Amino acid sequence: MGFHHLDRYADAGGPLARLAPAARVLGVVVIALGAALLPPGAWPQMTALLLLVLLLAVLARVPLAVFAARAAAPLALLALASAAVLVLAPGEPLARLGPLALTDAGLQRFTAALGRGAAAVGAGVLLVSTTRFPELVEALRELRLPAAVTAALGLAYRYLYLLTDELERLRRAAASRNARRGSAPRRRLLVALAASAFTRSYARSERVHRAMLARGYTGALASLRPHPLERGSALAVAGLAGVVAGIVAWARL
Amino acid sequence: MAHIPDGFLSAPVILGSSAASAAMLALAARRSRDTLQERQAPLLGATTAFVFAAQMFNFPLAAGTSAHLLGGVLVAVLAGPWAAMLVVFAVVLVQALLFQDGGIAALGANTLNLAVLGAGGGWLVYRWAFAMLGAGARRRLAAVALAAFVSALLTGAGVALELSLSGVVPLRSALLVLLGSHALIGLAEAALTVGILAAVLRTRPELTPAADLPGPAARRWALGVGALALALAVGAGHFASGAPDALEVAAARFGLHEAPALLATPFAGYEAAVGGPWLVGTVGVAAVFACGWLALRLLARR
Amino acid sequence: MTQPQAAQADALLEVHDLAYRYPGAGWALEGVSFALRPGERVAVLGPNGAGKSTLLLHLNGLLLPERGRVLVQGLEVTEHTARRVRAAVGLVFQDADDQLFLPSLLEDVAFGPLNEGRTPAEATALARAALAELGLEAFAERAAHHLSGGERRLAALATVLVMRPRLLVLDEPTGALDARARQRVVHLLQRRSETLLLATHDLEAAAALCERALLIDEHRLVADLPLPTLLADRERLQRHGLLAPL
Repeated sequence: MGFHHLDRYADAGGPLARLAPAARVLGVVVIALGAALLPPGAWPQMTALLLLVLLLAVLARVPLAVFAARAAAPLALLALASAAVLVLAPGEPLARLGPLALTDAGLQRFTAALGRGAAAVGAGVLLVSTTRFPELVEALRELRLPAAVTAALGLAYRYLYLLTDELERLRRAAASRNARRGSAPRRRLLVALAASAFTRSYARSERVHRAMLARGYTGALASLRPHPLERGSALAVAGLAGVVAGIVAWARL
Repeated sequence: MAHIPDGFLSAPVILGSSAASAAMLALAARRSRDTLQERQAPLLGATTAFVFAAQMFNFPLAAGTSAHLLGGVLVAVLAGPWAAMLVVFAVVLVQALLFQDGGIAALGANTLNLAVLGAGGGWLVYRWAFAMLGAGARRRLAAVALAAFVSALLTGAGVALELSLSGVVPLRSALLVLLGSHALIGLAEAALTVGILAAVLRTRPELTPAADLPGPAARRWALGVGALALALAVGAGHFASGAPDALEVAAARFGLHEAPALLATPFAGYEAAVGGPWLVGTVGVAAVFACGWLALRLLARR
Repeated sequence: MTQPQAAQADALLEVHDLAYRYPGAGWALEGVSFALRPGERVAVLGPNGAGKSTLLLHLNGLLLPERGRVLVQGLEVTEHTARRVRAAVGLVFQDADDQLFLPSLLEDVAFGPLNEGRTPAEATALARAALAELGLEAFAERAAHHLSGGERRLAALATVLVMRPRLLVLDEPTGALDARARQRVVHLLQRRSETLLLATHDLEAAAALCERALLIDEHRLVADLPLPTLLADRERLQRHGLLAPL
């Protein structure tokens, strides 16, 4: 089960990876918000936004094939969710599938959701490809998210690794003891594993707390600030925000 | 879906839900720090890691489907509602940013649904049910089961509300689909939460939050709240069956220009089949409370 | 059982009649008294459950005595003085993974200095130096799970050594290490000049590092004597569960 996913994709170089992590996160937010502000039916602007994301992918030196592969799963989920809209939105029916009617409004909404969502998904894939988990936590800290949350995430990184290691060992031990198949034994095993996961996490948190106290911890997790948001990165984000604002303004005129 | 992707929500809904969840998180951060003090970081970190890990387990339901634990109520019972809100938010945040599971513009809404309504609301249900049932290990578990189930429904209701306010789907259809699917998720959530909690308390009984045993005053309060909620639900049901949704009227007034057109057109098939999902929704939730209460009394005999 | 020692003017650490009971359990320590002078290197020996770890947790105020007192550099250890005490006493725990909890080694080692009030730049510099001292500078940006068991033990040591404690307290420093890693740790500790107190089952490591032994059995200090003397007394070692020939 090994949990190496948190940094799985962070391999891209290029100018995007050299920006401060906080700038990369802000960039994703800007694109997602811009996409959300596009009115439905704004096809040229949606395309412009998608092209912008692709341009950023080139800048990030993420090969387009890799980019597509990483975006595939979330896009598929997005399409699935959007598909529900196809049949639930009332309007002029275009086609019928049994009791469900595919409406024109539904079709419009489906493509709007897909178009807007895809831009945001693409931006997210770029973030993942250029940012390791510790950098992400640092970015959130720079962006002034509550200290409780960023401290929790910072510590969760190691906890998760240790936890999945322990659980994998437990699962294998249990599986080798239990030759029985079927849902019920599997459910019991999962519940037992989950309970074990909690108690182990809790016990470790107590020991880590002691170790933190022993090194002078008084309640605030200070940061080394390895890559603060400097002028260059801030300007890059401002530039991106300007372009996205321009696209949105164009759509709303 | 529990996590709304980007592309669905309208700007006002994004703004409103983000503001609401930001306010709740700020409050949660302050309250959690007051309770946990410098134990906070390691405990929240461990719990966040646990929720991540637990959400990777697939719990088989019937007929080849499976569900995974959301975990909000479990964390709320073991670490308090504020900690739970922060932990669920942390998980939702990472899922959105690193896994594109749930949108980024939609983060406020997803946080509201999962952390505030799910974990926070679920915890309130737990306190209410526990106060009604009285102290006792089995009664606590029964209260937790109900809370976990309702928390899933609350999340689903939140999603439905946000989608309909954004003009994506009419409220009736949204509620029907989402409350239905989340009822199933809720069953799994209840089973998993109770199973895990029982196992945890068996091996580490000192993790039972000692300070939360309900007293007689709590019981009276809970009875009052329960009666009021039931009255509101039944009354709302009556009202909703006749007049247009208060929600639809509000949406029209806010000038969501597409909304009046689509919301005013009843979706004929669904309405005919079930006689108004809104009515069913509210009365159904009230019925859940009532049946759950009866079932709990029967099951939770000491 | 040796005579309890009177307060010594130059003592770095004094423990007077220390007794502790975990909530809801029996006595974990009863009437323990001893003193350490600067520069001494002491091994705390005893079977599992004797109370060694409990004793260690009192030395930096993680546990406070139920009875008796602990003094570090003349300052009594209380909840109010705990912070100052922890600047002077560095405690290295048994499990390295409990001490390496941040996403990179550099952050782990810089954690102590940052808590002491150093600026990020100072803390980074100190951390890099400490890692280099232990030959771990190549791992600075990596997370602890990329290191071997021995390297993690050294990294955990680095997180404490960087704070320049006067008294270094170690709980099973060679536990669960293979022969090479064990050698590396012992050689490193031999080169250090801090006052040393280590709890261990590893008699060979104790012999390589310490000249004095505190023998704890059944929650009491049963002997305080030169280590070579104790190691020569096989009967005594066996009686207190430190030696058990197969």
